[in-house]
Amino acid sequence: MDEQELLVQRFLDQDLTPEERVEFLQVVDADPTLRRRWLNLEMVVAEAAQLPRMTPSAKFLSELKAKVAPPPLSWWEQLWATVTTPRTFEWNLAGAIAAACVAIVSVAGLFAVISPRVVEMQVPAGSAQTIATSTRQEEPKVFVRLILLQPGARSVSVAGDFNGWDPAQTKLERSDGGVWTATIPLKPGRYQYMFVVDGKQWIADPLAAEEATDGFGAQNAVLDVAI
Amino acid sequence: MPLDQQTGPDDAQLVARSLKQDHEAFGQLIDRHASVIVNLAYRMVGNRAEAEDLAQEAFLAAFKALSTFRADSKFSTWLYRIASNKCKDWLRAKRPGMGQQDVDIDEVLDIHVAEEQTPERLLSQQQVAQELEQAIQRLPPLYREAFVLKHVEGMSYEEMEEILGVNGDTLKMRVYKGRLQLSRELALLNSA
Repeated sequence: MDEQELLVQRFLDQDLTPEERVEFLQVVDADPTLRRRWLNLEMVVAEAAQLPRMTPSAKFLSELKAKVAPPPLSWWEQLWATVTTPRTFEWNLAGAIAAACVAIVSVAGLFAVISPRVVEMQVPAGSAQTIATSTRQEEPKVFVRLILLQPGARSVSVAGDFNGWDPAQTKLERSDGGVWTATIPLKPGRYQYMFVVDGKQWIADPLAAEEATDGFGAQNAVLDVAI
Repeated sequence: MPLDQQTGPDDAQLVARSLKQDHEAFGQLIDRHASVIVNLAYRMVGNRAEAEDLAQEAFLAAFKALSTFRADSKFSTWLYRIASNKCKDWLRAKRPGMGQQDVDIDEVLDIHVAEEQTPERLLSQQQVAQELEQAIQRLPPLYREAFVLKHVEGMSYEEMEEILGVNGDTLKMRVYKGRLQLSRELALLNSA
């Protein structure tokens, strides 16, 4: 590269100082050959800067982005990601108060709705079996199943504290094998009772776990009902 | 597009988000740099379909190696270097009659080839652009690469040094030789 050529290249690369550029322009002005050579190179540079630019095709962009995108998650992975993604709970005082009010009302409403409830209880083995309690009254009751084996009886009823010792109020039903049963709702408490066979024969429950004297020389069966 | 003319989150932020599996962030990097990469590849290989394939390879290579990208350099520089190497690999493998040396070794041009040519007729602007495109394709790859980055993409020699890993004086010489050959070819056309 001769000196003039170097000067042209440095001019094109903008490596010349302002003074050198002035000097360069003076030189090319005086040298038509150099001027033409310089102008040819300037044309190349100018035309190169204006070459049309290619716009990447939509297909290229979509395919490329699809290739760097994560594979689609299975439904299980999506569910797992949903439930395991850490979340930030943002709150303020007004929101917290509102949420607390809603919670209080909800809990109070829940208590009002669920007062009748089902309770299972254990009672001593015997003819009086607790089945369950289920009542809509405020005080829960326990369903007690009374059982008496009397194959020869025509009727069996029960009289006790819970029915005013009136055998007509609570009759047992006969089932196969001479087993007589009745299911009665009782509030929690301690009751004495006796079976009445054929309307005249009073007998204590032979399967009762506890008995108590009736004050007249006989024994009443005792049933403890508790929740 | 010059390397720094961008709006929104900068490349470093998008790279950081991409590393945290934010694939949308890498999509933004694609949108931002696709044009330069595709055009660079097109000027190097002279074929649109091949250019987009090479650009895609470059982006995918960058995506896979993103964890190895060092934040002390620009993402754009790193990406352009990958793309440039992809183009050179392609030229070595695909261009008929173009061997390793043709790509890797500077050709020695006769610096006196740019004989004075008096334009007897002026080519139209469109003709000049077409002829220049074709003439760029005829440049030796290293001159082509340097010329395209400098005068088509408008990069500085400092940016080119980073991308190509070649010192500035060598790049200036390659650009100079590229300009000279192109000037000669266009002058010949004008005089034809």
